[in-house]
Amino acid sequence: MRRVLAFLRVSFCLCGGFFFARCTSADDIAERARKLHFSSIVLDTHADTPQRLLTGTFDLGKRDAEGHVDIPRMREGGLNAQFFSIFITGRTLGPPAVQQALDQIDLVRQNVQGHSKDLTLAATAEEIRRAHTQGKIAILMGIEGGHMIGNDIRMIRIYRQLGVRYMTLAHFYNDEWADSSTDKPVHNGLTDFGKDVVREMNRQGMLVDISHVSDKTFYDALEVSKVPLIASHSSVRAISNHPRNMSDDMIKALAAKGGVIQINYERNYLSEEYRTAFASLAGDVSRMEEKFKKECGDDNVCIGRAEIRLEKELTDAGKLPHVSWEKIIEHIEHVVKLVGPDHVGLGSDFDGADMPDGLEDCSKLPKITEALLRRGYSEEDIRKILGGNVLRVMEQSEKISKGMQAAQ
Amino acid sequence: MVRAILCTGASVAAGVVLAVAMKADGISERARKLHFSSIVVDTHDDTTQRFLDGKFDLGPRSATGSIDIPRMREGNLSAIFFSIWMPSKITGPDAVNRAIVQIDAVREQVRKHPDDLVLATTTAEIRDVHKQGKIAALLGVEGGHMINSDLGVLRAYAALGVRYMTLTHSGNDEWADSSTDKAVHNGLTDFGKDVVREMNRLGVIVDISHVSDKTFYDALETSKAPLFASHSSCRAICDAPRNMTDQMMRDLAAKGGVVQINYHVGFLSQEFRDAEKANPELNKAIGAEVTKRCGDNEGCQLVEGDRITREYVEQGKLPRVEFSKIIEHIDHAVKVAGIDHAGLGSDFDGANMPYGMEDVTKLPKITDALLQKGYSEGDVKKILGENTLRVMSDAERISRELNSASKK
Repeated sequence: MRRVLAFLRVSFCLCGGFFFARCTSADDIAERARKLHFSSIVLDTHADTPQRLLTGTFDLGKRDAEGHVDIPRMREGGLNAQFFSIFITGRTLGPPAVQQALDQIDLVRQNVQGHSKDLTLAATAEEIRRAHTQGKIAILMGIEGGHMIGNDIRMIRIYRQLGVRYMTLAHFYNDEWADSSTDKPVHNGLTDFGKDVVREMNRQGMLVDISHVSDKTFYDALEVSKVPLIASHSSVRAISNHPRNMSDDMIKALAAKGGVIQINYERNYLSEEYRTAFASLAGDVSRMEEKFKKECGDDNVCIGRAEIRLEKELTDAGKLPHVSWEKIIEHIEHVVKLVGPDHVGLGSDFDGADMPDGLEDCSKLPKITEALLRRGYSEEDIRKILGGNVLRVMEQSEKISKGMQAAQ
Repeated sequence: MVRAILCTGASVAAGVVLAVAMKADGISERARKLHFSSIVVDTHDDTTQRFLDGKFDLGPRSATGSIDIPRMREGNLSAIFFSIWMPSKITGPDAVNRAIVQIDAVREQVRKHPDDLVLATTTAEIRDVHKQGKIAALLGVEGGHMINSDLGVLRAYAALGVRYMTLTHSGNDEWADSSTDKAVHNGLTDFGKDVVREMNRLGVIVDISHVSDKTFYDALETSKAPLFASHSSCRAICDAPRNMTDQMMRDLAAKGGVVQINYHVGFLSQEFRDAEKANPELNKAIGAEVTKRCGDNEGCQLVEGDRITREYVEQGKLPRVEFSKIIEHIDHAVKVAGIDHAGLGSDFDGANMPYGMEDVTKLPKITDALLQKGYSEGDVKKILGENTLRVMSDAERISRELNSASKK
């Protein structure tokens, strides 16, 4: 059904001119999609791969049987710009949070340096474009959780200096100055200090990421920030009613100020059916998670593995529904219908979430391009979704940052 | 006044304002010309501590302390290493956090004064900044305790612009013995040797001021790059453990290193040191007075310590030490280690200055005194900065070699 509809639409959009004969062939669309995908800057704003690097045994250079991201699979999937997430638990605060974040930043830098034939560290739109021209994969960094500044605004400058380009204002827990979407609000959004943090981020060219934050924090950040915001890895609440996702009103407000929502591929955020089934099992799951903690301690990779195992068992037992990768397209399309093609992109949550069937890892990304093409999206719009929209926000941030620093 | 002298400096070559240039301080025209055409490098200044209370700014001429932009201009200091320092007793993530904050404070001072200061990390940058008529600001970390035994933190410092690290301060750290603490590691531990190797790879100069003699020899043996003592004087003249023996200086020189003479009266003059030792109550009294005036404000303590010591000298309680002692140490180091192995490491804003070297404006007197002693202009330039620049460029070269070797 979906396939037929898509085919009709593609035919419709391309009828006219000499392309007509070519566009009727399905294989031809596949070929066009391939060409488009592999000539585009494909920019993903969120992968938790540094957690795997922390194990000390994972090598980015080798195709791995586990996980979602490594160099061979990035090459295969045409993924050429990836934000690696700097993440430590929101329960660690103060100087230890700072040191652990510095360590993880260093880990990313060391790994990029160790694979300098394939990878290059980038922090600006221009550097991403340069890497693309050189045939290298641009690695960027984002800090996932404001707790990592140790309640010290000066750390924003330091992180920016070290190559970090965005910061998520909170993670699963509230931090000292911003409420999270998955914690009990205590700050009523952003505190005054939190607003100063946003202003300083603007000044330093650090993108303000509103994934994970409470709705009120989002609106506070939107009001304070002079630079468009990004949601580095959030999906659509109208499709899956999870607090981590954005409501249509939020998406509209984000877009009105030039921002971008980067769709997260996590099954819970993609599918309402999955989310409700999972939520009804949550008692069991939370017990299981306690068990994971006992098994794994703070080893996030180990916990991730155990979760995947559990979800697979539950899915195989019919307790959890299958979620198709096409749900990702549905989310993208919802945003495009709501606010146009300039405000949506890709924020997989690779190596940090459970992927839907059909998008098991980053090698599958060309499917997204093909699906969008089949749905009748123009090549120009697809390039925007694949990366152009985020590049636009990065450039705006760079310009505004320069202006603010000059004015000071 | 500042303007007049700047003007003089600039127009000496044209030979127009000779009369002005000969003013007051009795420095010969030849010395002035030489001094103001040289790159003058000072490898140790504790001015950073003054930045921390947010009140002191490098821009205006200050009535206290030894360093600010107008006075650096007046004394033609071309490159200054701002020391990142805290007492050895501060350890762990707190030490890391504080060091980062200090690095940020230096960077912010540089950012606030773009017409005068440029952050530099390489010899090429120092020469370039000099050509632009600006002052190069560099960073040194004074004490290995600030990496919290974490090479990732060391790399973060390097990425933030730190160009040398003193292996210890006054107390031993976790992996190196200090010259002023009870030896517990027998020099460098195995990890300490790894720190030295990683510093070599990063191009961070190994600074052996403050370390025990055994640590010095361990570092000398381990390091592939020449070492320097960023602020140490000659033990043969003043028998302080912080100073270097003739043999140490010879061994340092044999591997291309440099001893940067410290102007602290307690390291310059045996007489002063003996007087201090003979009457420990004096130091206690000075300490008590400093605490009374400054509380725990380190920047204030350092500046006031110098002022109160001066008051004690005026009262005849401590001997008066003349700036010519600095020349005596330089001359001794040159005789023992060779002309290529001595330089300037004032310890301004962190020590008690001798008469005639109250602040950075007095630096041309060193040039004048060395010329009077019969040093050639080329030799004087070496002492003023070229020797240090050579060590830096050696460290850069070795860093490149080590990095390219590790990529194979």
